[in-house]
Amino acid sequence: MLLSPLLIFIVVIAIYPLFFSFYISFFKYRLTDPNQTRTFLGLANYINAFKDPQVTGAIANTLIFVAGTVIVEIALGLGLALLFAAESRRTQMLRSWMLIPMALPPLVVGLVWKSLYNVDFGVIPYYLKQLGLDMGRGPLGELQWAMPAVILIDVWQWTPLIMVIFLAGLKSLPHEPYEAARVDGATRWQSFWYITLPMLKPTFLVALLLRTMQSFKVFDIIYATTGGGPGSATTVLNYHIYTVGMVFFKMGYAAALANILLIIVAALAILYIIVLERQQI
Amino acid sequence: MTPSRTERIIRVALMALAMFFFMLPIFWLMTTAFKFGREAFAIPPKWIFFDWTLKNFQEVLANSKTPRYIMNSIIVSAGATTFSLLLGVPAGYAIARSRSPLINSSSYFFLLLLMIPPIAMLIPFYLVMRDLHLLGTYAALITLDTVFDAAFVVWMMRSYFMDVPQEMEEAALVDGASPLQAFTKIALPLSVPGIVASALYCIIFSWNDFLFALMLTSPKTKTIPLGILASFSAVEISWGRMAVMSIFAIIPALIIALFLNRYFVQGLTMGAAKG
Repeated sequence: MLLSPLLIFIVVIAIYPLFFSFYISFFKYRLTDPNQTRTFLGLANYINAFKDPQVTGAIANTLIFVAGTVIVEIALGLGLALLFAAESRRTQMLRSWMLIPMALPPLVVGLVWKSLYNVDFGVIPYYLKQLGLDMGRGPLGELQWAMPAVILIDVWQWTPLIMVIFLAGLKSLPHEPYEAARVDGATRWQSFWYITLPMLKPTFLVALLLRTMQSFKVFDIIYATTGGGPGSATTVLNYHIYTVGMVFFKMGYAAALANILLIIVAALAILYIIVLERQQI
Repeated sequence: MTPSRTERIIRVALMALAMFFFMLPIFWLMTTAFKFGREAFAIPPKWIFFDWTLKNFQEVLANSKTPRYIMNSIIVSAGATTFSLLLGVPAGYAIARSRSPLINSSSYFFLLLLMIPPIAMLIPFYLVMRDLHLLGTYAALITLDTVFDAAFVVWMMRSYFMDVPQEMEEAALVDGASPLQAFTKIALPLSVPGIVASALYCIIFSWNDFLFALMLTSPKTKTIPLGILASFSAVEISWGRMAVMSIFAIIPALIIALFLNRYFVQGLTMGAAKG
C-alpha cells in the first residue's frame, strides 16, 4: 500500500499524457490555428514522417551522433578506468574531479564549448590555426566539422560516467584467474586481453545500452551550440521534434515523431532490462 | 611484476593529459567570469595573466532578476526532490519487500519510465498544462520533474532496500509492530545513505534541467539555465556575465562531485548497473 500513491501519480501525470500523445498523433493539430481544429488524418502523420527528407535526415544524424559518442566514450572510458583504477589517495582525488563534467548542466557545457569553439576569439580554432589547420568558419560553422565538434562535447561530459561504470565492473572481478594466469606465465597484456575483457562483457553491455539511450535524447548541447546547423548538419531527431512542436506548433506531427523516437528508445530499454535481468542470475 | 619506470612515467603523463582535457573547459569558464570583455576575446588567449575584475559579478548581482532565477531553481529542485522522495521511497520499499512477482517486476516499469525521451512526455504534458491554465507555474515544472525523479528514486531505493537485512523488521513484526512502523522505525534509518544518493540525483536533475523549464516556465518562474540564456541580451553578447551566471548554475555540481562524491557514485552505479 506504500506503492499506491506513486502509482496513482504516475498514471495520472505520465501515462495519461502518453496516451494523449498517441491520440493526437492521428490528427492535424496546430496550436497556431485560431479555431484550434483537429482534423483526423489517420496514419498520415506517420507515413509523411518517413517521406519527409528533414525527418530521415534527422534520423541519419541521430544515428551518426549516437554511434560516434557511444564508441568513443566506451573506448575512452575503459582506458580511463584502467588508468585510474589504483586505490591510492591521489587517484581517488583525481577521480572525484573527473565527476564534475557529468554533474554540470548540459546547457552550460554547451555554452562553454561554444565559446571555446568560437571562430573569432575561441581557443580551439586559434591553436589549431597555429598547428596549420584552418577551420574556416570555425568547428561549429563548417558542414564537415559541426557533427564531430558536437560529439566531442558529449564525449567530454559523459566519458567519466563510463569510467565510473567500468571502475565498478573492474572492482567486481575475481582475483583467482589472474593468479592462475600468472602461474602459467601469462604477460600482463595477455591477462588483460584473455581475462579482463571477456569478464567485463556484462559491463560493456550495460554501458553501451545506457549511453545509447541517453545519447538519443541529446538536446541541450545542440540548442546551446549549433541550433541544429549549419544547415541541418547537427539536427538530431530529438531536436527536430522540438522544432516541429514547440517552434512551429504542429502538435499532431510532433507527437507522431515523438512516438517514433519513443518506440526506438523503448526497444533499447527493454533490451537493457533483459540484460540486467540475465546478469542477476 | 612491478611496473617499470617508463611505464609509470607514461601512466602519469596520460593521467595529466586526461585531467587537462576534462578540467580545461571548467577552468576557462571560471576565469572568463573574472575577465573584462576585451580580454575574454583576446587572441592569443590569456589563460592566467590578465586583469582580474569583479565587474561581471557586480553587474549580474545588480540585475534584479538574478536572485529570482536562483530562487526559482531552488524552489523547483526542492519541490521536485521532496515529492519524489515522499512518493518514491515508500514505493521502493514496497517493491523490495513484496513477494508478489507482479509487484516485483513493476520496478522495471519505473526503469522504462526513466528511459522515456523527455520530449515525448513534454509535448502532451505541455498541451494538458495549457488546457488546465497551469503553464508558467512552479506546479507544472515540479510535477513533470517529479515523474522522472520519482521513477529513479523507486529504482534506486528498491535495490537499496533489498540489500538491507530483513531480520530486524521481521523481529519487530513478531513483537507486534505494524508494517508501517517496521518501515519508518527500522528500514528508513538503515537506508539513509541510499536516500541521500537519491536526493542528490533529484537535485541535480531538476537544477540542470533546461528543456522542461524552457517550455513550462513564464518570466516569473524562469530557472537559472534560462537566466543564463537571458544574459545574452539582444544588445550585446556578454560572455563574462554568462560565465558568472553559469558559476551559480554549477555550484551544486561542484559540491556534489567534490564533497559528496561517494553518494553520487553510488547513485550512478546503482541506478545504472545494478538490477
